[in-house]
Amino acid sequence: MNPLRNGLVEDRTGDACAVVIFGASGDLTKRKLVPAFYNLGVSRSLPSGFAIVGVARREKTHEQFRAEMKEGVSTFSRRKPIDPAFWSDFERGITYVAGTFDAQKTYEDLRLHLDQLDRDRGTAKNRLFYLAVPPSEFGQIVAGLKSAGLVQPPNVHREGGAWTRVVVEKPFGHDLASAQVLNDTIASTFDESQVFRIDHYLGKETVQNLLVFRFANSLFEPIWHREHVDHVQITVAEDIGVEGRGKFYEQIGVTKDIVENHLMQLLCLTAMEPPISLAADAVRDEKVKVLRSLRPMERSLVQENVIRGQYDRGAVRGDEVPAYREEPDVARDSRVETFVAMRVFVDNWRWGGVPFYVRAGKRLARRVTEIAVQFKRVPHGLFRAPDGGITQNVLAMRIQPDEGIALRFTTKEPGQHTVLRDVAMDFRYGAAFGSNTPEAYERLLLDSMRGEATLFTRRDEVEEQWAYIDRVFDAWRAEANAPPPLYAAGSWGPEQADDLVARDGRRWRKP
Amino acid sequence: MTESSSKVLARIERELRDVWLAPEPAGGSLPPKSRVCTMNLLVAGPRDLMDGYTHVVDEVTASIPARAILIALDPDAEDSELSGDATAVCSLLGGKNICSERVRLVAQGAVCTRVASAVDSILVPEIPTALVWLGRVHVTDPVFLSLSASAQRIITDSEYSSLSSLLHLSAWARRGSSQASIADLAWTRLAPWQELFARFFDDPRLHDHASRITRLAFRQASEAGARLGSEGALLLGWVATRLGWRTSRMGGALRFHRRDGKNLPIDFGVTPRPEGTAPSSLASVRLEADHGDVHVEGAIERELASGLSSDAVDADMVNWTLRVGGAPPIEQRVRFGANKAAKWLERTLHRPARDPALAESVAFAEEVLEDGVVCGAPSHPR
Ligand SMILES: NC(=O)c1ccc[n+]([C@@H]2O[C@H](COP(=O)([O-])OP(=O)(O)OC[C@H]3O[C@@H](n4cnc5c(N)ncnc54)[C@H](OP(=O)(O)O)[C@@H]3O)[C@@H](O)[C@H]2O)c1
Repeated sequence: MNPLRNGLVEDRTGDACAVVIFGASGDLTKRKLVPAFYNLGVSRSLPSGFAIVGVARREKTHEQFRAEMKEGVSTFSRRKPIDPAFWSDFERGITYVAGTFDAQKTYEDLRLHLDQLDRDRGTAKNRLFYLAVPPSEFGQIVAGLKSAGLVQPPNVHREGGAWTRVVVEKPFGHDLASAQVLNDTIASTFDESQVFRIDHYLGKETVQNLLVFRFANSLFEPIWHREHVDHVQITVAEDIGVEGRGKFYEQIGVTKDIVENHLMQLLCLTAMEPPISLAADAVRDEKVKVLRSLRPMERSLVQENVIRGQYDRGAVRGDEVPAYREEPDVARDSRVETFVAMRVFVDNWRWGGVPFYVRAGKRLARRVTEIAVQFKRVPHGLFRAPDGGITQNVLAMRIQPDEGIALRFTTKEPGQHTVLRDVAMDFRYGAAFGSNTPEAYERLLLDSMRGEATLFTRRDEVEEQWAYIDRVFDAWRAEANAPPPLYAAGSWGPEQADDLVARDGRRWRKP
Repeated sequence: MTESSSKVLARIERELRDVWLAPEPAGGSLPPKSRVCTMNLLVAGPRDLMDGYTHVVDEVTASIPARAILIALDPDAEDSELSGDATAVCSLLGGKNICSERVRLVAQGAVCTRVASAVDSILVPEIPTALVWLGRVHVTDPVFLSLSASAQRIITDSEYSSLSSLLHLSAWARRGSSQASIADLAWTRLAPWQELFARFFDDPRLHDHASRITRLAFRQASEAGARLGSEGALLLGWVATRLGWRTSRMGGALRFHRRDGKNLPIDFGVTPRPEGTAPSSLASVRLEADHGDVHVEGAIERELASGLSSDAVDADMVNWTLRVGGAPPIEQRVRFGANKAAKWLERTLHRPARDPALAESVAFAEEVLEDGVVCGAPSHPR
């Protein structure tokens, strides 16, 4: 251990390393990854021994690649304009290796290049391989890395030597079987402790704040269970449509794009038991327990508990928008769901009988992600409220936009009569702490450089998530793939989704 | 006729209420005002210093919305009087018009000793309170004592007061005389130096070199013959206390020893001070270390006043270099935090409240300063 790091108050610097991005000509690299590294550099969180190596098939010079990355940073970084004095040093650490993923030469070239970087830039033989490519390419890449001797087993690092890690992006498979195949593929080369699966929701400040909120306040945890909670609603709503990615969306749909990963993670963080520590496995063990407690969506249950939808024409934020089937690259008779609502049960001691209503969709009334915990009514109606009773207390945790926490409760209106009224205590993260917080990718990239895996999903989590979702698709297939009900763009989804909660005597929130 | 203190406070409370009752200006393009308050930020100091500090506080509350209470103290005034006003200070943040409240109090004469009771009555309850004390701190000063009683955090700036007053303050807090934690703006400004210095030993092969430093050289922006400034002394204090160094005297001269007892030569040099750079600012630190057969040389060189050329950034560039054995040097250019006072106060407020290294480092630094170390001997190693 470096004795000078011990107790350093603002100490969050990555380990010296070379970051190798496969798929460096892609959108993710210039939109998210390189801007995030740039921002880490500006805030002095990058190690002195640091290099970014882009790998993609087109031939280009280091200078061309740097120019592309500079443009990406100028456009997408949260810090604008670019700082020229800083950039000129930062870009010296950016290089490019051209090659196809099926050619062993690519990996041999890469190895020589990385050796050179160790000497020139002090990257200390540590390697972070970032797979910013479609999953179909993972197999070739990890095999190529392995046969070129670019992967150190984890014990080398444990014994004080260099580390090798791999970061993979969603989509992580399209069902359980494919996720297992991908996991096996990666496991053929990397130990699970070396694998960092990104779910960028976990990098969001407010998602991390969920753990703090639940486990650093003594107020909420005692009532965070079936005795006091009536039900929970989780909403991941977008107002945009498929934005020119119709071809991609036709393959995936909202359930696989959003519910399987982000929404299930939010559910886990809401429902999990307190972990014994914040160590990666302690937190992930608790999340897995939640996933294993989910009441399986047997085929007979799907019709009653899962509602699909697809957006029709409508108006979003005052603009007329086309139906999903009218989007480019979308089949005129497409049955892909752009909305899904589910009634989910966590069958364990804490949550027995408490429904979790979750929904996600595109072209909904507004963009909002939130978790709302609705508490039970008071047991005895002391006050007569003219509009049919006292409303329930709601604790709403807003993930985006306007991150914050609001608590709804009832008060008396001033006056001679006892007139009740709902008010909200509203805490806005951005207003209180400024809005210039690090982006999810900054946090996640820094964590991966430091080997901290708490905010990454583990193999068993991913597989449990798929196992749950797979049953829903089984049932849909068995329904002879009926077309999903339509909903007007700009609404909150199809009527059937309202019925799903109305049957239980409840209503969706309009967040 | 002067108003009584309670009348002044009643008026201030009314002004604070009215700020939120007042209708928004018609036809204005701004979104409606949102009142946000995450802390009470008390700032107290001599009247002449306070005038220049108001805009610093406004800048800080633009990103840490607070009820800011600025207290200008003029204890020598003949008349005893409290005066003041209150207003909202708003700024656009993510499309919202976020407003803090700013109360300005001027305490003259004997009222100074009672000003804490006035402040107490207008604190927002249930949220943390920080006291920024400008100027020298004396732990026997009744005004300081009474104001600090409401605060969970006391912030000073030893660069403008003195390390010895910071030393007394932290000793006082350690004795349990206050529940508050002590922070210092000069100490916060040191953070990038600490981080860059620690970086020399991050490579696992170099961890042990930290305890084998053989030479150290500081250079500060001042005339030859000037005394060592607090920035250099604090950094030295931090390194020394982390690595277990000790001092001794030989023929009146100060000597430094490593934990293993070896003598450790330290040079204190100077470099011309460009306009816009604070006197005695630390300009560079260089070190050499030997362990096994690996020789290491490190340098952190601040390009003084380089940040001034760019208004947007206003933070100096720093060159960091590490040479390990015969390998090519590893170089990095980064920016220090911005030179602005508001940035450092903001950063101090965001830091963890307690930093055990502060008191130890200050004690060591104070000892070095007490010795009247002079900078400018021409033996800066190359
Ligand atoms: N963009 C985002 O914001 C985002 C967010 C979350 C997850 N992801 C995931 O991250 C991965 C990369 O995303 P992206 O948006 O950067 O995708 P992209 O723009 O399509 O880029 C993909 C990269 O992979 C390369 N590639 C694709 N097929 C290849 C093949 N058969 N052989 C060799 N190279 C191939 C492309 O090279 P060429 O340029 O030579 O074709 C390009 O460098 C995808 O799996 C995506 O789902 C992206």
